Amino acid sequence: MENTNKTSDIKQFKGRSLGQETWRRLLKNRGAVVGMIFMILLVIVAILAEFIYNYDTDIVAQNSKAIFASPSAAHIFGTDQFGRDIFARILYGARYSLLIGVGSVAFGLVVGMILGALAGFYGGVIDNLVMRANDILYAIPNIMIAVVIVSLLGTTPFSLLLALSISAASSFARIVRAAVMQIRGQEYIESAYAMGLPTWKVILKHIIPNCLSPIIVQVTLAIGSNIIAASSLSFLGVGVAPPMPEWGAMLSDGRPYIRSAPWLCIFPGLAIMVTVLALNLMGDGLRDALDPKLKK
Amino acid sequence: MSENILEVKDLVVHFETDDGVVKAINGLNFTIGREKTLGLVGETGAGKTTTALSILNLVPDPPGKIKSGSILLDGRDVLQMSDKELEQMRGNDVAMIFQDPMTALNPVMTVGDQIAESIQLHQFVSSKEAFEKAKEMLQMVGIAESRAYDYPHQFSGGMRQRVVIAIALACEPKLLLSDEPTTALDVTIQAQVLELMKDLIRKRHMSMLLITHDLGVVAESCDDVAVMYAGKIVEIGSADEVFNQTRHPYTEGLFNSLPNLRERGEELIPIKGLMPDPMNLPEGCSFAPRCPYATEACEKQPPELRHMGGTHYVACDAYNDPDFCLRRNSHG
Amino acid sequence: MIRYILKRLLYMIPTILLTSLLIFWAMDLTGGDPVQTILPENATVEQQEALRESMGLNDPFFVRYFRYMGGIVTGDMGTSYVTKLDVFGTFMNRLPMTLALGGTALIISVIISIPLGIWTAINQNTWKDTLGMVLALFGVSMPNFWLGLMLMLLFSLQLHWLPSGGSDGIKYLVLPALTVGLGLAALITRTTRSAMLDVIRQDYMTTAKAKGASRHRVLYTHALRNAMIPIVTAVGMQFSLVMTGSALAETVFSWPGIGLLIVQSIAKRDTPMVTGSIILCCILMALINLLVDIIYAYCDPRIKAQYSRKG
Repeated sequence: MENTNKTSDIKQFKGRSLGQETWRRLLKNRGAVVGMIFMILLVIVAILAEFIYNYDTDIVAQNSKAIFASPSAAHIFGTDQFGRDIFARILYGARYSLLIGVGSVAFGLVVGMILGALAGFYGGVIDNLVMRANDILYAIPNIMIAVVIVSLLGTTPFSLLLALSISAASSFARIVRAAVMQIRGQEYIESAYAMGLPTWKVILKHIIPNCLSPIIVQVTLAIGSNIIAASSLSFLGVGVAPPMPEWGAMLSDGRPYIRSAPWLCIFPGLAIMVTVLALNLMGDGLRDALDPKLKK
Repeated sequence: MSENILEVKDLVVHFETDDGVVKAINGLNFTIGREKTLGLVGETGAGKTTTALSILNLVPDPPGKIKSGSILLDGRDVLQMSDKELEQMRGNDVAMIFQDPMTALNPVMTVGDQIAESIQLHQFVSSKEAFEKAKEMLQMVGIAESRAYDYPHQFSGGMRQRVVIAIALACEPKLLLSDEPTTALDVTIQAQVLELMKDLIRKRHMSMLLITHDLGVVAESCDDVAVMYAGKIVEIGSADEVFNQTRHPYTEGLFNSLPNLRERGEELIPIKGLMPDPMNLPEGCSFAPRCPYATEACEKQPPELRHMGGTHYVACDAYNDPDFCLRRNSHG
Repeated sequence: MIRYILKRLLYMIPTILLTSLLIFWAMDLTGGDPVQTILPENATVEQQEALRESMGLNDPFFVRYFRYMGGIVTGDMGTSYVTKLDVFGTFMNRLPMTLALGGTALIISVIISIPLGIWTAINQNTWKDTLGMVLALFGVSMPNFWLGLMLMLLFSLQLHWLPSGGSDGIKYLVLPALTVGLGLAALITRTTRSAMLDVIRQDYMTTAKAKGASRHRVLYTHALRNAMIPIVTAVGMQFSLVMTGSALAETVFSWPGIGLLIVQSIAKRDTPMVTGSIILCCILMALINLLVDIIYAYCDPRIKAQYSRKG
């Protein structure tokens, strides 16, 4: 029979792996690129801040000569009630947001993925247990979990991290379980078994790669929402406490002075917003890049 | 009152996408007479669904654009109508039945409401009266009236297609466009639905454009046949003319690729090659690259439809030679 | 349908029991000794012990827990360390304020977001779409307590149009409701847009147009009714965000709802108030989730049928 026609048609298409294709599409999205550049810069700043500023002298010391200085060349974002430079505190504070945001999502991802995969794959008792636990966590708003944990462990970054990890784990478990259950029922899985692939290989080569898209998108967006959650909790006094320059805590600090020195409140909040905006741009870009059908 | 309910003249439809221009329909010409059924045959991608959507002026824009041509429905050009006129025409003068009954119905409305909606859009009746009429339509397509309160997911594929037919016929249109109405159904149900359609069309003195890739369905149900390839009609005539006096090489190829019950064990003869990329159509006759009779002249100049006697037309320049004859026909 | 609701309520009970057990246990660990606050400072150790015995504070954990849970039914969840008032009563008094705030915020957000979401969806990939999406993106990235502070800065402290705190009338509700509502609106806009984009692609949209339905009808009767299903789902999932958002807005604007109550109680280490409020909040959340599920079932007849028949 005639096969030459088909091969010549196929030759037109250059082979590209899924990862390369996704990366290429992602780079076309200007918003996502801006977001990524910003995040990279932020990470660099967070790391370097340790070396540029000395924690004791610049971040927490009290310099009564320059209290409530409004934004100027000397102090780009002004100073607070203790004379501390707000710009310096914001740069330094990036580390709390990044560590807690990324850390809680990373931890939650690992735990959630394992639990979700087990629940989705094996079903039965394991599934029931995981879903019940999830239901309970679902019933308790984020803030309450944090309150309880912080009451137990004190207002340290670690307890905040733990609290946010728990809710991140809960949402990842849910997503992974749903993805696994959906994929498990697909016919190409049945054919993989029919070909004689052992279970672990089926999970590794077929199931997990197909779960990745929703997970990747969720990770980026979850970091953003956890940063907001962390700062919200610190604002309420249930997270990182002053004098640590966490952005939410800074807002809580500056609140009494909002009338006379609004820059205490404006800039830390702006920092949170811009960071989360960058993450959301990345997350949206990833979502479009991973599934272009959705865009058009 | 014109003789033909539908006249499509030189229709050209392009889809302008980011990757290029898809030339879906390239100079389409056909007519449908009153109370006649025309079967539109062709492979997937030939432009059949686009043709039907064009008649309703429902080609999605963007990216679709009707570039030129006219579509005369009972003498009025659809492509020149205003939005209001189109809304009045759709469902009332022309109705369409879609390919996939599983997705053609709105999942959150009862079937009764969906049929009644069609009635209320075109007739001045109360919603109660419309719903009553909807129930009658259900009965006419063979579904119990009480089921008017049920939702689409409670029906099987064949029954959903009957609901779609009920919606289409509710306002007694003059022309019915059926886009592969039975392709998505089980074989046994296919026959039932086709019978139902034929019956209703006859009773209501309607014309129909039946789009299909199934030659058997065409033989069963159609008065006339048009064969479509790469956005053009390559052969058109009465069913008898096209089936028994086939003239176009493509049509010959279609008939040859059907398995023959009597000669089982023989190899199937497919048409070699693939349909051309609509973004990159060849210069001359679109079928030339695959045509066993093609000459150099075929690749330069696209052929016009020529009259072959009766109502039979063919677009093939091989007939420039008066002795030319397809292999199929030369075997008698 | 009624049977479905009852079944869900029944199912809720073990979840609530487990949840409250966890919370009770955790808060119990944090300590706080009511005896210290009840007796005068110079009370002797014997007196303190005696009071503890009589209050049942030395009983085993589970006895105390069940007594506590029993208390919920009778409306007795202990007394605040700080105000000496009844925990249950205090919570119930403040609840309407939070509901008013949440409800108003929800209304504001729906009025803004659904039309905006539809508008961006039907104008996909034009400047209108970009504008709407940029606004929504900013809204979703903004911490809502910061938005509250900025609104306060502008409308209250600079322009003096609205008050910056308190609860003496509708005027006082505006800024807090906007604070919660705008963030929620951004979220719902995005969800509406993607739901509409999905729905517009569906075959039944072509069927509707082929019937001769007008653009308006096609959009609202056919598209939106179907889009409501994923929208309600998404909003329902985010409901705990509304709670958190309310707590933050109440803190910024001193709106006396249960969010502010919890925050203040934590600061004052008022363990019984914190414990009781959180548990009652969880029950409230569970009831709201049930309500969302019922609304969802009404939107999607496939689900409704499932529950009407099975019961």
